[in-house]
Amino acid sequence: MGEILSDPTFQKVCVGTALIGATSGALGCFSFLRRQALIGDVISHSALLGVMAAFMLSAVATGVGSKSVAVLLPGALVAGVAAMLLARVITAKTRLKGDAALGVLLALFFGTGIFLLRYVEKAPDIAGHAGLEDYIFGLAAALTTDDLILISCLAAFALGATCLIWPALKLHTFDRTFAHSVGFDARRLEVVLIVLQVLGIVIGIHAVGVVLMVSLMVAPAAAARQWTGSLGSMQLLAATFGAASGAFGSLLSAAYTGAPTGPMIVLVATSIFVVSILFAPGRGVLFRLRARRQARAALTSAGEVGA
Amino acid sequence: MNTDPDHATALSLDGLTVAYDAEPVVWDVRVTVHSGRVTGMVGPNGAGKTTILQAALGLQPALAGRVQFFGRPLAAVRDQVGFVPQRRSVDWDFPTTVLDVVMMGTYGRLGWFRRPGRKQRDEAMEALEFVEMADFAGQQISALSGGQQQRVFLARAFVQRCELLLMDEPFAGVDAKTERTIVRLLRQWASEGKAILAVHHDLATVPEYFDDVLLLNRRLIAAGPVGEVFTRENIERTYGGAVRVEASRG
Repeated sequence: MGEILSDPTFQKVCVGTALIGATSGALGCFSFLRRQALIGDVISHSALLGVMAAFMLSAVATGVGSKSVAVLLPGALVAGVAAMLLARVITAKTRLKGDAALGVLLALFFGTGIFLLRYVEKAPDIAGHAGLEDYIFGLAAALTTDDLILISCLAAFALGATCLIWPALKLHTFDRTFAHSVGFDARRLEVVLIVLQVLGIVIGIHAVGVVLMVSLMVAPAAAARQWTGSLGSMQLLAATFGAASGAFGSLLSAAYTGAPTGPMIVLVATSIFVVSILFAPGRGVLFRLRARRQARAALTSAGEVGA
Repeated sequence: MNTDPDHATALSLDGLTVAYDAEPVVWDVRVTVHSGRVTGMVGPNGAGKTTILQAALGLQPALAGRVQFFGRPLAAVRDQVGFVPQRRSVDWDFPTTVLDVVMMGTYGRLGWFRRPGRKQRDEAMEALEFVEMADFAGQQISALSGGQQQRVFLARAFVQRCELLLMDEPFAGVDAKTERTIVRLLRQWASEGKAILAVHHDLATVPEYFDDVLLLNRRLIAAGPVGEVFTRENIERTYGGAVRVEASRG
């Protein structure tokens, strides 16, 4: 174990995945509370198309496709935002409901992304495609120092912006019509939240993978909600759960060789979620069962209900 | 236009038309709401009552027409305009306390970057005392009854310190105590020269609660003092047939 902890590659992976988990945990609280948890799934799947488009553009421009995160992440960002804006246009202009629009867009963007991935792999004249398939299920070990710096910058930007306009984001999430009426423009804030969510997702797609990334947006937020009654502490706790999932998941994956990092991280996050759902005081399943039993027992013993 | 300074125009809608799809849901509505008066807006389901409030606040794009608050566009006088949305429009399982929700009434004044402090906290406590909810200040909002939720929303409007208050069905599904609190609050605000426009469902209580009434069914059917326009004929024109006012409670 000590060997693993002192390994510089592992340290990089551990810091990177913890940072990813913390960011997506904190930002995921907004979509969780707006009952839009699955939006993260659409964003992350759509990001694959952006990654492939950026890779192919770089291949056309330089002859060899670039797998630098600095090239691919902007593509993922654009694709994620584009999918979300398209979803808004579709729900506004057609009779489709939001969930149907999102489902269609996920299929379209992810399907096209997979198609381009296979095309690039088969095309004889596009070099440098090896490793692109890691974006599907994630490969944390591939994190380089440059990736780490870029991820840190994007995470700092997203979390910093969140802190800066936090009251407006909170009010909009709780009561968007009221927020709009006091001057926090609803449409503008929705775009801000889309960009924040896309940032929270795309920094993790290489390490965790587009398929599983959504769970880092949802599971820490859902777990944190169980333990606290204020948005601020919920976001801090979700960030902590996310960071712990990243760090502990990458440790497990390093300790048991062959266990891929992304799924391990997600399993840790899910375990925290299950424990929180079952055992949290107040909102936990067991607590509520016991409270109900006690309340019923008190009723019958008081003679208010026939025995 | 009313030139009495006590009853100056707080809100004027001039030819407001709103359409969701091809069908207009609000058609050419011309209305003025006066300061110092409590105005009720009644009409059947789908008459466009909520839509009018949302269009006035810029939440729904208007197809045509002009909306003015105190003779100016909303952006110029936003901090004078308060809003109480429908109680059921928010998720009451949101992680926050009663006091925190009331403090949200100060966020507009604070703007994008400033945080509420002690002063805002004191204002919120004062408002909670006014609606008899001070004992609940530290409680989670998920623990509130429907009437308590509505009183929290009233307290939030209270700390907005606005001159015009738009309310979407404040009386819907509330208990008797809350109903009395709302009426007391509306009376006090009107006596201070504020204007109130409330969407309302219960025809039986219109003469009791309101000074002025707007009868609406996509178009404006009638508008004016309750004693003059809240007639059987106008109500029947609004609801499209015979309506027994006595039987409409609930």
